Amino acid sequence: MKVEITVNGEKKIADVSPETTLLKMLRDEFDLTGAKLGCDVGDCGTCTVVVDGESVNSCLMLAARASGSEVLTIEGLATFQKLHPVQQKFEDLGALQCGYCGPGMIMSAKNLLDKNKSPSVDEIRDALAGNLCRCTGYTKMIEAIQEAAKEINTTNAL
Amino acid sequence: MVTRNKDLQKTTESLLKKKDSQAPSKKPVSVPGDNPVIYPLDLPESDARLQTPAVGARATRPDGRLHGLGQTKYIDDMSFPHMIHAKILRSEYAHAKIISIDTSAAEAIPGVLATLVGDEIPVNTFGPTFQDQPVLADTIVRHKGDGVAAVAAVNEQIAADALEKIKVVYEPLEAVFDPQEALKDSAPKIHGDKTNIYTSKIIKKGDVEKGLAESDHIFQRQYSTQMVEHVPIEPHASIALWDGNGRVSVWSSLGRITLGREDLSRTLSLPQSKIRLIGTIVGGNFGGKNEITNEPILALLSKKTGRPVKCVFTRGDEFISSTIRHPFVMDYTTGVNNDGKIIARKIKLILDGGAYCSWTGTTIGKGSILAAGPYNIDNLFVESYAVYTNKTTTGAMRGFGAPQVCFAYESQMDEIAEKLGIDPLELRLKNAFTEGSASPTSQQLQSVVLKESLKQASDRFGWKEWKK
Ligand code: FES
Ligand code: FES
Repeated sequence: MKVEITVNGEKKIADVSPETTLLKMLRDEFDLTGAKLGCDVGDCGTCTVVVDGESVNSCLMLAARASGSEVLTIEGLATFQKLHPVQQKFEDLGALQCGYCGPGMIMSAKNLLDKNKSPSVDEIRDALAGNLCRCTGYTKMIEAIQEAAKEINTTNAL
Repeated sequence: MVTRNKDLQKTTESLLKKKDSQAPSKKPVSVPGDNPVIYPLDLPESDARLQTPAVGARATRPDGRLHGLGQTKYIDDMSFPHMIHAKILRSEYAHAKIISIDTSAAEAIPGVLATLVGDEIPVNTFGPTFQDQPVLADTIVRHKGDGVAAVAAVNEQIAADALEKIKVVYEPLEAVFDPQEALKDSAPKIHGDKTNIYTSKIIKKGDVEKGLAESDHIFQRQYSTQMVEHVPIEPHASIALWDGNGRVSVWSSLGRITLGREDLSRTLSLPQSKIRLIGTIVGGNFGGKNEITNEPILALLSKKTGRPVKCVFTRGDEFISSTIRHPFVMDYTTGVNNDGKIIARKIKLILDGGAYCSWTGTTIGKGSILAAGPYNIDNLFVESYAVYTNKTTTGAMRGFGAPQVCFAYESQMDEIAEKLGIDPLELRLKNAFTEGSASPTSQQLQSVVLKESLKQASDRFGWKEWKK
């Protein structure tokens, strides 16, 4: 079946079988391998992308359901000029070790900051509740998100 | 920040300043057309990379940039032209004889290109300590994670569907799941030997019976720990290509590629010079990716089809078929004097080894040596046994047995402190290793700052105040 979606601002069309998930379509049809497969059942969040302003587990969403939507993946965050503040702070603070959970974490965090410019630690924890990391613990990530929020508020960058 | 030499600090600061002033101005890179712009080209800079004293300088992880951009290539992010996908059928039973395996119905499915069973593997055993594990079980399954057949198909969905068409006839055997049960004479012998014990260790120091007899108090208890799965967020993944020159290339999430190449060479009966094992960034290992899993299977499926073959474990595969941490059953008997001095300690460890040995050799060694804790004990006896059970194979996991025994000896320290009315911290300080102490295996220890660390830590978190 034909699916037409906008990914990172670009219109894309794919012909996929009905059981294809959004994650599989992004990875296999569009070569956007940033979002990862960790569990395939909605537990780990490493497949997180933003669909029409909501962060979703793309392993749980059928590609067909995303038809007509605007999808933002990790590949669409940075520009040649600048990393997204969340990416920058994750890097500065060493918030990732193996990095496998990173794209999902960063998308969840980005989506949080889009909606809530000054989240409390509890709100950050809530926003990351669906994202598992096995390497780092979450302390550095939470710090990085707080710093990114500060930066966004002071520079009004994004 | 850590206290450090003032001169060093000055040098570092001046060098860092110099670096800042010399930093190239960050010019935006112009982008042709209106392609989505995806990555900044200036490299992340790491202070630790400068020729400066690195202590105290903040290090930037060299791989952090690509991780954050989603550009790190893990195995599942790689693909090759004409690549196909493999899935592995796992056992239906914890312990059974395999009577027959019929893959013909699976092969008849359009899109299925090849199947593989154990007796097609040139040398169907592997393992980092003993080679007691089949790559695909061919005569007996010893736990539910044992693979019995593999399918390669044009996509994962077809491969998964084809698994359901494979007919395996089993003759179930009596199984044993408890390591203590597995020690009994009546228990089924999982590898057909006289006993399920497959490795053991004894450590002796002084005279433990005499020490216990002379102690004012005896403390005795059994402790046990459970299975733990590593759950790397990246499941095990590999891609194999058997090329027209008869050379095998394998891309794998394996953490030990040289060891993996040896195992590939053995199982495939190919000289190592014909095998290239390419490791890449691993999405979490924690010890669980220290040995081959399905790599020989993929290589042989590639040989059969002439295509690169990829396999990514499902989360289910990960839990039942990759290795886990050994559960321990630990009997501790400790003799202590009224003042809290430990006189003697007698320990028996039983390691639930699961179906195959894997890294048990290392685990039993480390677990035994560390079992008495970081305490000076003149009379010590440790005996440890690793036992086969019909459960998930236990192998390497962070600490190799150290966390299990730590749980036991520190729990017992707390019990002793409570019973004798001694402050738990004081009890530890009284017995702790100091500079030059000898380990249970008579290694003379150097740079021992255990007491200092305990004191500093307890001061910082306010142990005394908390006690009030
Ligand atoms: S892969 Fe989607 S939540 Fe784990
Ligand atoms: S950094 Fe490894 S899972 Fe998060």
